[in-house]
Amino acid sequence: MSEQRHDAFEMRSRTLFHDSVEALDMRIRSRLTQARSAALGAARGRRSRWSGWRIWTPAAGVTAAAILGVVLWIGSPLTHQSGTMADVQTSFEDLDLVASSDEGATDAMDMLQDDIDFYAFADRAANSGPAA
Amino acid sequence: MARFDTLNTAWMVWDSPAPAPEGAVLEYTRELEKFLAEIERRAFRMAQVALRDPDDALDVVQDAMLKLTRNYASRPSAEWRPLFYRILENGIRDLQRRRTVRKRVMTWLPGPKEDPDNEAQDPLDNVADAAPTIPEKLMQAQAMEQLEESLRALPARQREAFMLRNFEGMDVAETASAMACSEGSVKTHYSRAVHALREQLGEVW
Repeated sequence: MSEQRHDAFEMRSRTLFHDSVEALDMRIRSRLTQARSAALGAARGRRSRWSGWRIWTPAAGVTAAAILGVVLWIGSPLTHQSGTMADVQTSFEDLDLVASSDEGATDAMDMLQDDIDFYAFADRAANSGPAA
Repeated sequence: MARFDTLNTAWMVWDSPAPAPEGAVLEYTRELEKFLAEIERRAFRMAQVALRDPDDALDVVQDAMLKLTRNYASRPSAEWRPLFYRILENGIRDLQRRRTVRKRVMTWLPGPKEDPDNEAQDPLDNVADAAPTIPEKLMQAQAMEQLEESLRALPARQREAFMLRNFEGMDVAETASAMACSEGSVKTHYSRAVHALREQLGEVW
């Protein structure tokens, strides 16, 4: 097979193909135009959605951080307010007792550290009910 | 590392690189539209040669357009054509694979076995055109039909190489880029395709 015949074959194939492209009916042409518009429209839409995303991301991030901060603050043991009014009052009394320096010869802090065994015993006694 | 005064400023800058300016975007959108308008009919015909069904061909062309505009619009315009044809050919192969699977499944099912390619055929497609048919045009159409049949009989890579080189007019390097293979492979596929087509179509074609 000569190179010339090869070229002629390729040329004829190409011509036939391009003729068939030119002969495409209006229905196909129209649908291709619609497909192109849809593709470009989708790309534009995607970009505008992306722009919106870029604008709202910082706001959403700040909001999320604020919510997280509030949740952590409320859940913190320092601010946990689940006790009754009596418990709160007792806590203040304990604090007062510990901080007080009006105990005469025995300092409040010393009292707490004095006799661990005693407090252990007192605890056991309190939990065992009335003494026999 | 850049420091930011506020968290908000950091968020704004976080998603680097910054988007292209609106003017540049409009410019490449216009270029892309021009490119697609220039290429779409040939792409459709090439898809139709491979798939036979015009609706399937339209689907894969539209899908390729969508993928190109979504994922590669910001790439240099010189890359669009090989990228587009690579996407298109992947779409064609996916569809052919699905068809093969569907045919295999259908053979296991009871009932009439119809060719799924002909199922959605519009009866109006078979109605003769009212315009008078010129014999030469008819002969050309028949010759093209023969060529299409022969192209469908080729291995996919040979058909692809032939259509990109011959129909689309791509050079070897561009075809290699579209086919994701070496230039040597393109030459081999193309040469084999031409020989096979000539053998199938005969000397008188």
